[in-house]
Amino acid sequence: MTDFPKLTYEALAIGEEFVSNEEIVTPEDIDTYAFAVDDHHPWFSGPSPFGGPVAHPTFFANQALRMRHTKYVVHAGLHAKMQFQFLEPIRPGMRVRSRGRIIDKYVRRGKKYMVTEFVTEDQGGRPLVRGQFTQMLIEG
Amino acid sequence: MATVIDAIAVGQELPSLVKEISQRQIDAYSVVRAKSIHTDEAWAKAKGFRTTLAQGMMSTAYVSEMMTKLCGAGFVKGGTISVAFIKPVYAGDRLTVRGIVKEKTAENGGTRVAVDVWCENQHGEKTAAGMASGLISATT
Repeated sequence: MTDFPKLTYEALAIGEEFVSNEEIVTPEDIDTYAFAVDDHHPWFSGPSPFGGPVAHPTFFANQALRMRHTKYVVHAGLHAKMQFQFLEPIRPGMRVRSRGRIIDKYVRRGKKYMVTEFVTEDQGGRPLVRGQFTQMLIEG
Repeated sequence: MATVIDAIAVGQELPSLVKEISQRQIDAYSVVRAKSIHTDEAWAKAKGFRTTLAQGMMSTAYVSEMMTKLCGAGFVKGGTISVAFIKPVYAGDRLTVRGIVKEKTAENGGTRVAVDVWCENQHGEKTAAGMASGLISATT
C-alpha cells in the first residue's frame, strides 16, 4: 500500500521527481479539449501540415500538473507562472506521459511556492513538450 | 513574392480573441473532482474565493490559439509561451486575449516572431501577461 500525504511546503524536496500515468491521445479527448477552451481549429480533426490531425499544443498541460497527484493529495494551488516549449505535434494514438522534478521552492510575501520542470514524451521517449510551472500552495 | 513573415510588422497588434468561460468548460478542462477550487463551488468558497476559478492554463490555451493563427505550424512545432498569472479568472468571466508583435529574429533559416501577450477580464484588469513566440519558415 502507498501513503499519499498532503502536499505541503515542508513535505516537498528540491530534486524530488514525479512521473505521470500514461495516457492515449484519443479523438474524443481532443474534441473535449477543443470544447473546454473554445478553439475548434480544423487541424484538430482533419488534415494538417503534419499529415493528419493534431491535438491542441497545450493539450497535456494538465498531465504535467497532475504528476504530483501520483505521490500527494493536492487539495488546492494557484498557478503563478507557466512556460511551454512545443517541440513536436501531439497526434491521436500516441501514448504519452510526463516526467518532472521540483527545481525550487520559496516563500515570498508569506506565500509558499514550488517550481517544477517537466517534459512530456511519447511512447518512444521523444520529447513533445518541455516546460516549467510555478504554483502557490494553498494548504489545509 | 511576399511571404507570411513580410506581412508581420513589429508593433503590430494581433486580432484579439474573446472567451466567455462557462462552468461547463471549466469542468471539461479540469475534470470534475470533489475538493477542487475549479469544480467544487463550496470548496472554492471555503478557500476564500467568491466562486470557482478557471485553471490558469486555460489562458495559455487561448494564447496558443492566437499564436497558431499568427504562426501556423511554426507554433505547433517550435512555439513557446511564458506567462505569469496575475489575477484569478472566475467562472462566468469574459476574457479578451491580446498580443503585440515585439520582435522578429532570424533562427534556423526562418524567423522567430515574439509577441507580448496578455489577457484582460471584463473589468479591464490583466489576469495573465507574458511572451509567446513561433517560428515561421522562409518559404511559408
